[in-house]
Amino acid sequence: MSEPSTALEPIVSARGLRKSFGRKPILHGLDFDIPPGRIYGLVGHNGAGKTTTLNAMLGLTSYEGTIRVLGEDPFARRAHLMENVAFISDVASLPRFLRVRELFALLTNIHPNFSQEKARQFLEGTDIRPEMKIKALSKGMMAQLHLAVVMAIDAKLLVLDEPTLGLDITYRKRFYRRLLEDYMTEERTLIITTHQVDEIEFMLSDIMFIRDGELILHMQMETVSEKFSQLVANEPEAQEAARALGPVYEETRFGQTVFIFDGVPRETLEPLGKVSTPTLSDLFVALMQRPTANPESAR
Amino acid sequence: MKAFIALVHREYIEHRGAFFIAPLILVGVVFVLTLLAFSVHRIDSRFSGQLLTVVPTWVFVAGFAGLATGWMVYLGFTLFFYCADGFAADKRNNAMLFWKSMPVSDLKVLTSKLVAALTVLPGSIFAVALLSILIMFGVAYVTTMIAGLGSVTLLGSIALIFAQMALVFLVVLACALLWYLPYMALVGAMATAVGRWAIPLAVLLPTILSVLEWVTLGGLHPFATATWRFLDYRSQFPVSFDYLERVWDGTEQFDAGTFLADFLGKFDWTQVGFGALFAIAAIVLAAEYRKRGAIT
Repeated sequence: MSEPSTALEPIVSARGLRKSFGRKPILHGLDFDIPPGRIYGLVGHNGAGKTTTLNAMLGLTSYEGTIRVLGEDPFARRAHLMENVAFISDVASLPRFLRVRELFALLTNIHPNFSQEKARQFLEGTDIRPEMKIKALSKGMMAQLHLAVVMAIDAKLLVLDEPTLGLDITYRKRFYRRLLEDYMTEERTLIITTHQVDEIEFMLSDIMFIRDGELILHMQMETVSEKFSQLVANEPEAQEAARALGPVYEETRFGQTVFIFDGVPRETLEPLGKVSTPTLSDLFVALMQRPTANPESAR
Repeated sequence: MKAFIALVHREYIEHRGAFFIAPLILVGVVFVLTLLAFSVHRIDSRFSGQLLTVVPTWVFVAGFAGLATGWMVYLGFTLFFYCADGFAADKRNNAMLFWKSMPVSDLKVLTSKLVAALTVLPGSIFAVALLSILIMFGVAYVTTMIAGLGSVTLLGSIALIFAQMALVFLVVLACALLWYLPYMALVGAMATAVGRWAIPLAVLLPTILSVLEWVTLGGLHPFATATWRFLDYRSQFPVSFDYLERVWDGTEQFDAGTFLADFLGKFDWTQVGFGALFAIAAIVLAAEYRKRGAIT
């Protein structure tokens, strides 16, 4: 018997998701569910399979296995799905031959869930004017415009693949702040990939680490802070004791030795030095170097 | 339908330079040069004005036909390059990612490009062409007035010729677009896959097909094959010249109705039908390719 449809039915559900380019396998059978109302960070090295995973979700590439986005097969039903899914894969991808007002007029006719009024509101306070040609905008302005466009789409899922690539720190901060303040609601789900993990850490509710086409970490941020601990130990005895507890990562920084532990109670670590929650970038470095680090294959 | 019309309009915005602005500039330049030529007496307005009244009907019909033919040639070139470039234009600057984020299928996008090539883009050139001919007729009539031979009767007959010829131009243009539809679809489909390489491929492909037939089935030389004969026939616009020759000789006055009846009656509609089916197949295949692989 199938489960009754509830509000918590996953927005994205993947089972045995595989993808190869020629003979080279890129994704090795990913299994994951993304529930609604969450902000997901998908993090991995270059070539780890992040963009391929997102492309499969967005119906931009064929794949093996099963993936359902809002209950639909994205590859077979991309056009229909895009009524409720918005994405930015490259902020410089807006059609450059259009003026801003022409872009809005076009989107009004093409996209049933696009609001020109909202898009204009989002551009208030910026230097972007309706008569401007998109090709004349700077990269930062183009990012603002693209963000205004996707935020003006009443979508259930927003996917951002390296949205701030090439933008300076000011634009990046403004981009994420705007997204969080003006767009996110409980009904919307956001998936972001970026190399600047620390910049998005504050807004994430869940994290997925992908390495060589495999999901090596998938958990809520609260669980990350419960499960992983960082210990800074100075004394050689304390360092030896810490090593005996099986850290997943060890590094010496400015004469101090930093350990990252998976599942070791904080009370056990506290006598050995200063204990804290590792930042996402520290955890990323730690887990990416482990030969096998799959603490939670799928939920 | 609203989305489809918006996509066709988008094609017009993207390519209005070649299909509207450039022709308009060309007309403007020629008009200014004409005025300049008259103003410095390089052209004797009195003499040319008198000449125009000798066989006014023939001169205006021939003038219209000549200029319209020129515009048709221009349209042929621009449409060829539009298909070779426009169908691949979405790949430029990663714009494909933007278009793929829109709730429109690849088939709808490519169909809109082909429909634009059949409607708004040639329609735009048609409008500029009529404007250029109107200017030409205007200049001609002014010269007859300068020569003191202008009259309401002459003006009326010029207006009638313009209306008749505009109708003929429209019908011939529509038939030409239908006749060359499979070529446009083929070049567009190739451009979807290989970008601007479609330009040399459009020439290379028929040659390869003909040579292959010659190699496998034999023949006098690589271009004495059934494939080449068919492509040769399919490349030439099937106009019946019988009636036009009589008009050209001056043995018969031009009548749009007679010409169109003769032209449409002798047009190879069967080939147009097959061509349309071929065009549909080419666009469907290209859309499938675009769906599967052409992200950037």
